[in-house]
Amino acid sequence: MNADLLAKAKSLGFSDRQIAHLTGRSEDEVRAFRKKIGLVPSYRLVDTCAAEFEAYTPYYYSTYDRGDDEAQPSTRKKVMILGGGPNRIGQGIEFDYCCVHAAFALKEDDFETLMVNSNPETVSTDYDTSDKLFFEPLTLEDVLHIYEREQCWGAIAQFGGQTPLNLALGLQKNGVNIIGTSPQSIEIAEDRKLFAAMLTKLNIPQPPNGIATNETEALAVAQTLGYPILVRPSFVLGGRAMQIVYSDAELQHYMRFAVEASPERPVLVDKFLEEATEVDVDCIADVGHFTGPNEGTVVVGAMLEHIEFAGVHSGDAAMVLPPHTLSDKVIDTIRQYTHAMARELKVIGLMNVQYAVKGDTVYVLEVNPRASRTVPFVSKAIGVPLAKIAAKVMAGKTLEQLGFTAEIWPQHWAVKESVFPFNRFHGQDILLSPEMRSTGEVMGLDADLGIAYSKSQMAAGGPLPLKGRVFLSVSDAHKDEVVEVANLFANLGFDLVATSGTANVIQAAGLKVQTIAKIAEGRPNAIDLLKNREIQLVINTPAGQTPRADEVKIRTTAVYTGTPIMTTISGARAAAHGIEALRKNGYTVKTLQEYH
Amino acid sequence: MPKRTDIHSVLIIGAGPIIIGQACEFDYSGTQACKALREEGYRVILVNSNPATIMTDPEFADRTYIEPITPECVEKIIVRESEHIKAQGGEGKLALLPTLGGQTALNTAMALVKRGTLDNYGVEMIGANAEAIQKGEDRQVFKDLMIQIGLDVPISGTAHTLEEARGIAERIGRFPLIIRPAFTLGGTGGGIAYNREEYEDIARRGLELSPVTEVLIEESLLGWKEFEMEVMRDRADNCVIICSIENFDPMGVHTGDSITVAPIQTLTDKEYQIMRDASFAVIRAVGVETGGSNIQFAVNPDDGRMVIIEMNPRVSRSSALASKATGFPIAKIAAKLAVGYLLDEIRNDITRETPASFEPTIDYVVTKIPRFAFEKFPQADPTLNTQMKSVGEAMAIGRTFKESLQKALRSLEIGRSGLGGDGKPWRIGEKLYGDRDILPASLIRQKLSVPNAERIFFIRHALRSGFTVEDLFNLTKIDRWFLTQIKEIVDFEEALASTAN
Repeated sequence: MNADLLAKAKSLGFSDRQIAHLTGRSEDEVRAFRKKIGLVPSYRLVDTCAAEFEAYTPYYYSTYDRGDDEAQPSTRKKVMILGGGPNRIGQGIEFDYCCVHAAFALKEDDFETLMVNSNPETVSTDYDTSDKLFFEPLTLEDVLHIYEREQCWGAIAQFGGQTPLNLALGLQKNGVNIIGTSPQSIEIAEDRKLFAAMLTKLNIPQPPNGIATNETEALAVAQTLGYPILVRPSFVLGGRAMQIVYSDAELQHYMRFAVEASPERPVLVDKFLEEATEVDVDCIADVGHFTGPNEGTVVVGAMLEHIEFAGVHSGDAAMVLPPHTLSDKVIDTIRQYTHAMARELKVIGLMNVQYAVKGDTVYVLEVNPRASRTVPFVSKAIGVPLAKIAAKVMAGKTLEQLGFTAEIWPQHWAVKESVFPFNRFHGQDILLSPEMRSTGEVMGLDADLGIAYSKSQMAAGGPLPLKGRVFLSVSDAHKDEVVEVANLFANLGFDLVATSGTANVIQAAGLKVQTIAKIAEGRPNAIDLLKNREIQLVINTPAGQTPRADEVKIRTTAVYTGTPIMTTISGARAAAHGIEALRKNGYTVKTLQEYH
Repeated sequence: MPKRTDIHSVLIIGAGPIIIGQACEFDYSGTQACKALREEGYRVILVNSNPATIMTDPEFADRTYIEPITPECVEKIIVRESEHIKAQGGEGKLALLPTLGGQTALNTAMALVKRGTLDNYGVEMIGANAEAIQKGEDRQVFKDLMIQIGLDVPISGTAHTLEEARGIAERIGRFPLIIRPAFTLGGTGGGIAYNREEYEDIARRGLELSPVTEVLIEESLLGWKEFEMEVMRDRADNCVIICSIENFDPMGVHTGDSITVAPIQTLTDKEYQIMRDASFAVIRAVGVETGGSNIQFAVNPDDGRMVIIEMNPRVSRSSALASKATGFPIAKIAAKLAVGYLLDEIRNDITRETPASFEPTIDYVVTKIPRFAFEKFPQADPTLNTQMKSVGEAMAIGRTFKESLQKALRSLEIGRSGLGGDGKPWRIGEKLYGDRDILPASLIRQKLSVPNAERIFFIRHALRSGFTVEDLFNLTKIDRWFLTQIKEIVDFEEALASTAN
């Protein structure tokens, strides 16, 4: 390999991977050769003054222009925190929040903190959040350079979402000390076979499932499980290409066009539990610091009950903390399973579990021994900074030392609602699905659950109407339940409007309802009423896996006219209770400092 | 001038949930403001409905309301806090700082002015006054003001009938024309007309869709070069440029969706100085007394004509980028200016020697690239236009544009390790091409002529398949300087590949 050519390539920004592919070598070979000839980047300061004055805040970038290196590694014990990179759907501000807390926590414990991130929008890339800021790409090559240059003691990869997690094993192989839960435990949670073996050992049920590396295998697995099934690629966040599949034809299409399956990256196939209630649990543990099976502490930070039924991505679902419909028995089971898994995985730091509850049976859907999207929400709801405590645990402290050993069950309600970008993507159907599409979230806090829900809707930009007209159009599967919901709204004094099918059911139950035309039946129809702002709330549930064009048009028109819309019966029910509470007493405001 | 002592508490309005166009940069700015104001001994009250923010951590404010950001709700907070200050026997007034929470905070503050809430409870708006916000935000008022101070703006007119619309087209005298219906959500029903027939169609539809039967018609600046200036001003009328930013993508793509580069790369010093002077004139004319503003310019590459596009009288997305690009903490300084300090009284944390009135100078190149999520919205149109569609961004710093561009590309988390040559195949629609395959010219031409998320990569494909810089310029209107830089990367990729055995 030509040293001059290599130096030129680096100065033009070529990564080792590009050079490796272009010259027919491996990335490791390129790195080894570079190191042998001493070709490493130098670090420069971002100093506002083009080096005219001395700079005191260590904010660095790397370059291969072969000039001076301005980084001055200290002799302090250093922890590197790996950020989340650019925001995208599924990986948002929540992970930046966790990284910032890690920096704050470890500063308090007298470590030198190094932040690595490439996202300019964040607090983590503020120069006074950490002791040193490296504004760099989050790739193996770039991160290793910093780690080696600064001689770090350890690195945190479990806080920045999927980006740093994907780097963890590679970093470890290259001698990086990944602190907290071991990458091996993370692998058990992500690897289907290892995970199933663990659950069998602990006697914890999970939905019947399998994996497939190609179309034939997928069809075979589907045959054993029976439809509907939930399919998704492994190693992604935000439910990318996650789908509920109802037939062989759909599955074939999915395997051909939606994913690239391979033996290294198989497609995960689960039996889909219809009408189950999902629960998210965030917990914190220090058990990996101990050798005995019963030593150390596991604390459930919170349980969040989803408002929508299973099948809606947990990043898109509305959630209630603490659970509002689960029995004590179910809550106990969830707690017991969470503790058992945290101990088995020897968790040091945070762990998130997703459960599905059907009747009295609790199934585990997924375990992630890392910071989850709900950590900031939970921290604010219970008044304990979970990410901060977790970072201290990862760096060596025990929960007992930190004084956090008991669950907190708040006396108020916290509702999380998601916010979607549908108004930017005209023509896109807005139905919630296993593929996450929300960009952000809001929190509604109150002593009354109905008010907390109403506040979450106000904050999400779709305030619930206190009076007016409700338009109902639901699928056959929901015809029984729609009567109950219609009744709630009728009792609140709302006028009911529905298309013929739904109207018949409501009428048969003895309620007054105005029937209007379906789009194909003529005018005025629901679209006209929406456009004229003559409908204040829409309740529209999907007819099945392939929505009718009608439905899509109604839903997109609701978005475009800014009319609140509920696409699930449980959402509609929550809305009715919220409106009732709001009409009774109005709402008041209260500070976080007063809640805790 | 020392800081104001007549203020007891400052209410900061956050930006609420993360949405496209309003992301976590406002957590960054709000967090900085909270820290800066508490450092100065003010009691900080915060409202933000977004629990995932650092600013809503209870340590960052004295009073943290995780409540909806609606005028009604913020009024409740003002009432409660006014009583609270009185009950505590607090001296001084309650001030409202609305310029750090994006458009949400600004709109809410303006609604509170209109409701009379601020007057009724003796709340003073700091950072920007209602009049300046109005001048900056109302398109027509802003345009008139610009013309008054001798600056150029795009030629435009407002029509209420098809007749009027025809007259305006006549007056502007050339196509394409941009049609924007008034008061429709997200500019629905607007469009670009390239000929008379299209123009009539879009204008008719626009008038129909506008609830006030009004459309704004504007000369098209498609293909012009786009620039941004981040400006700060204090009460004594000191002005500084914090950062100059050049859009790699010409006009027609929202700046949030454009690749942007700091500092400006393709202007001469003289052109830059003219733009700097114009920026100061704008911030003074609009009357932003203290704090930061973002001003956008377009320059015709053929004759150098410079027009003002718009200004944001508040901390914006570009401010976060400018802060990270220069190391100058815009939000923190804006908060200090709002409570009375002058730029020359605030010390620069980084040098500890220079005051904030020194314009930052940078000896490197910063590149920001937007991150899109079209794979999540397969039914939607992936073409980039004046409505922002990206969900995030990555920034990188290098000593040259080439180094920073490739670093930024590998930061995007889209599986690419640079501009190309990393072995990863290209999936275009349902077709899969090898990393170093030569793509069909028709596909390349199509992907270059219409702005889209992959265009930067198609510049590489085009150069590899024999397009010249001139061909690329004609298809994209991207400045030849940028195209030449990319050509150097692509040429070097070939040189590297030729050493493979």
